[in-house]
Amino acid sequence: MKNLIHAELLKLRTTRAFWAYIAAALAFVPVSIALSITTASDTAPLTSSEGLRGVISAASAGGLLVLLIGITMMAGEFRHNTATTTFLITPVRNRVIAAKVAAGTIVGLVLAAASSVLTVAVALPWLAARDIDVSLLSGDVGVPVLGAFIATGLAAAVGIGLGALMPNQTLAITVVVVWTSIVEALLVGFLPEVGRWLPTGAASALGGTVTAEGALLPFWGAALVLTGYALAIAAAGANLLTRKEIA
Amino acid sequence: MAAIEIHGLSKRFGEVAAVDDLSFTAREGAVTGFLGPNGAGKSTTLRMLLGLVRPSEGTATIGGTPYAELAEPFRHVGAVLEADAFHPGRRARDHLRVLAVAAGLPLARVDAVLREVDLADAGHRRVNGFSLGMRQRLGLATALLGEPEILILDEPANGLDPEGVHWLRQYLRAFADGGGTVLVSSHVLAEVAQTVDDVVIIADGRLVTQSSLTELANRSRAGVRVRTPQVEALRDALLAQGIAAQLVAADALVAMESTAEAVGLAAAGAGAVIYEMTPEHFNLEEMFLELTTSEGASR
Repeated sequence: MKNLIHAELLKLRTTRAFWAYIAAALAFVPVSIALSITTASDTAPLTSSEGLRGVISAASAGGLLVLLIGITMMAGEFRHNTATTTFLITPVRNRVIAAKVAAGTIVGLVLAAASSVLTVAVALPWLAARDIDVSLLSGDVGVPVLGAFIATGLAAAVGIGLGALMPNQTLAITVVVVWTSIVEALLVGFLPEVGRWLPTGAASALGGTVTAEGALLPFWGAALVLTGYALAIAAAGANLLTRKEIA
Repeated sequence: MAAIEIHGLSKRFGEVAAVDDLSFTAREGAVTGFLGPNGAGKSTTLRMLLGLVRPSEGTATIGGTPYAELAEPFRHVGAVLEADAFHPGRRARDHLRVLAVAAGLPLARVDAVLREVDLADAGHRRVNGFSLGMRQRLGLATALLGEPEILILDEPANGLDPEGVHWLRQYLRAFADGGGTVLVSSHVLAEVAQTVDDVVIIADGRLVTQSSLTELANRSRAGVRVRTPQVEALRDALLAQGIAAQLVAADALVAMESTAEAVGLAAAGAGAVIYEMTPEHFNLEEMFLELTTSEGASR
């Protein structure tokens, strides 16, 4: 299993697309911070706990890109015909899925760590310049950072499961981008009683995104909901993959 | 025990039987040509043998064990099923490194196989800059990574230039001579006729024949075509010598399974005038076509 995880990480590191995704994910961090700070509203000013958490939610900005990395890890095998060799080396396909989920989770956690460091390094001096002093050890930093680790860590498993369910990579990426950034975003915004139970709603709650009072699930509820989605989608993908004819 | 054993193998896609009760073997130390027209079920059979497609019925084993149950399949069987099975943005050497790591093989094997297929100088290049011939060789390098005893190649000559085909022939010959087992599919018999020891011919998912190439050649009608105004007299003279002859035109016949010498002697004895005499070599390709199409027509 260790060999397989190592191989999956090597697969990622040896393509330029992976590094482009990582660069884009990190580039989102300062953009997200800038948006939060410049558009802070009176209902959640930067001096409030909500406002601060909204700024630090930049730490989970890379979640969507890790989701897309997860999709390419699985659907890319079909796109480039490498699935054949992968399953010739490892005929037990559940082991392939497990190795991909493990490798993707490692990528997600490392990216969450890098995004968190970047967030703190950019946001705290920026806030200090506006005479807002935030302690690195305060809950307003700690909670969104912990949420970023959970949400970004789980994102790859969701992507890998979706990649197995939708082996057409272009279709899978299109569906996910449209679903998360349009359908779910609208539901979270306008129909929160539904939206809060969806993956994006749960991820937003974990990251500390600012919304209307009580619109999102509490932190631990969101963590459970998102974990449930990740396990269910990865399991559905694995189930389909083990029965698939590789032709 | 045969290295590869297919027994009663069938695959149905809905109503269509892609492979129908197929049985054959491939032995060690030999190159077995797996032949049939496009759509005959060759690829489906190979994919069932390799655990990628689930058989509807029957078994396919490697040394008595289904592929998926082999402990370290990549160390026993090397397979090339697609000409192009690489991430285009990955360097050739990295492609092999990934597989070596996954299969638990030493990284020294990566450079060894790159040398073996003459790609040592191209290892640092991304695969999207590779010609089809280079991709074919990288595919073979992939299959050789685990130092397998068995090689399974699906239409390896597709898109290879003549030089590449020649190189592949020699490679497979040497591999089998070294005790290895090779199963190589093709829809063109002539492509593999120079390399194979045994042939397995299928059409419409069914076995047409399995034999050695020599046996197959002997079965074909070698003969001598003769042009003479006295066809009847010559035919009788040939029959008297125990040589069957077939009239093919008003002034021509074919002496079956015979030689120019024997026909010449019989003609001299009968006083027949010979205008033209042509030894007809057996034509494997024609026979292959006949075998595969008549089987298809009979269904």
